[in-house]
Amino acid sequence: MATQVEPTTRLGALWNNRRVLQLLVSRDLKVKYADSVIGYFWSVLEPLMMAGVYWFVFTQLMDRQVGEAPYIVFLLAAMLPWQWTNAVLRQSMRALSKDAKLVRSTSLPREIWVLRTVGSKYAEFLFAVPVLAFFALVNRAELSWYFLLVPLAMLIQATLLVGAGLMLAPLAVLYGDVERLMRILLRLLFYFSPIIYGINDVQERLGDTVATFFVLNPLTGIFDLYRASFFPDEFVGWGPIGISVAWSLVMLAMGIRIFRRFEGTVLKEI
Amino acid sequence: MSPVIQAEGLGISFKRNQRRNQRLRDIAAGRSPATTPKGKFWALRDVSFRVDPGEAVGLVGGNGQGKSTLLKLIAGVLLPDEGAIRVGGGVAPLIEVTGGFVGDLTARDNIWLTAGLHGLSRKQIAARFDEIVDFAEVGDFLDTPFRHFSSGMKVRLGFSVITTLDEPVVLVDEVLAVGDRAFREKCYGRMRDLLSGGRTLFLVSHNEADLRRFCTRGLYLKGGSLVVDGSLEDALGQYRADIDRRRKRRPAG
Repeated sequence: MATQVEPTTRLGALWNNRRVLQLLVSRDLKVKYADSVIGYFWSVLEPLMMAGVYWFVFTQLMDRQVGEAPYIVFLLAAMLPWQWTNAVLRQSMRALSKDAKLVRSTSLPREIWVLRTVGSKYAEFLFAVPVLAFFALVNRAELSWYFLLVPLAMLIQATLLVGAGLMLAPLAVLYGDVERLMRILLRLLFYFSPIIYGINDVQERLGDTVATFFVLNPLTGIFDLYRASFFPDEFVGWGPIGISVAWSLVMLAMGIRIFRRFEGTVLKEI
Repeated sequence: MSPVIQAEGLGISFKRNQRRNQRLRDIAAGRSPATTPKGKFWALRDVSFRVDPGEAVGLVGGNGQGKSTLLKLIAGVLLPDEGAIRVGGGVAPLIEVTGGFVGDLTARDNIWLTAGLHGLSRKQIAARFDEIVDFAEVGDFLDTPFRHFSSGMKVRLGFSVITTLDEPVVLVDEVLAVGDRAFREKCYGRMRDLLSGGRTLFLVSHNEADLRRFCTRGLYLKGGSLVVDGSLEDALGQYRADIDRRRKRRPAG
């Protein structure tokens, strides 16, 4: 039998290396925002453009039939966390191969390279929040008390992303198809998560049965919770959030297992 | 005294026919790329030894016999498929010394990054920064991107950073072959300091003089097995005997 490190010591090792994690995240941000104004601009450009396009199509070209006004705030409240999800799922597939030399020359607990991806993208997500605040102010969108639950949404989402990242990072190194498959899955996930519409719209138009399927998507509960900050009527209760929590814990447990399972093989490959 | 390194039945295998990217049907079939049976070879197998604190061990053997693989297992950057290796305390690996550096970052940033990744705190790095720079002789190039460095400068900086770490085990893989003569002398001095400071040293070199300079103990690896675990002279003697025997068999070679 090969050496098996107990999960608890593993966690302890990660905790001992939290400073290293901090170092990696701050280095990522330094690289990203090296030229501060342009760097910031780039990081918010994509969600802003996507939101802008949907806003234009749904409110200017067509009569918006989904979501709530101000629609741009409605969009951004889910678009920004989506951006975090999307970026982590994409980047974690390169988490081990992009900095292969660093991974190969240090004996840090290797989960750190996934945590670093989740962390850097989280920071970028936070940096984009002022854009949402700006549009909320301009459109006089009111903040509701659900705002206090945003940290909970972040926590569930972070758990989910760490789990998914731990799964994708080794699998993408070993199996070339994973990246291609994920590109398609992410596109589907975008349209089947309540981003350009709300879960309420699904329920009203397609009925409870279909809405139940949407609720099985872990992102539904999470995005709904974010959105309730500005649109308390969108909050559909704790059921979907319970499902998100369950998903995120299952994903984390599976991620830890898969990562551990393939770690040795991946180290030979990179 | 409890050993600082203890290896028991250590083994690691690689795929011979490297088909890097497996297909999804392999996942579906539950096959992992590590267990696809064809073309698996053992780079190391059944390797057991123990090293006490303060020992200086020379690793002897031809190319491709598993020396570097063993160092990587000790450093924890490869994981064994069989057996176990226990290392008491951290390891300062001078393997692929320049590996930890990022081409786009300046030398200054790289020192902070690499030293940080190896566990030095900000305060420790700040205190040792000048010494690292002096030793590597890169003072004039601190704000130059690392990729513009000459290969000699890269190795000097790598050696300088890694040898300032406080880790009890130091692994050295052929670094000494790179630098110029003056720098090599400095490296010898640094390594002697490390040894007299009670560190444990693992040295891989094809240069017998370098091995003799530091090591008393020798491990001789051949075809992935540990054939000699004794004094350095024993290991070198056996290695030479094997080479001579092969030469006699193929005199034209």
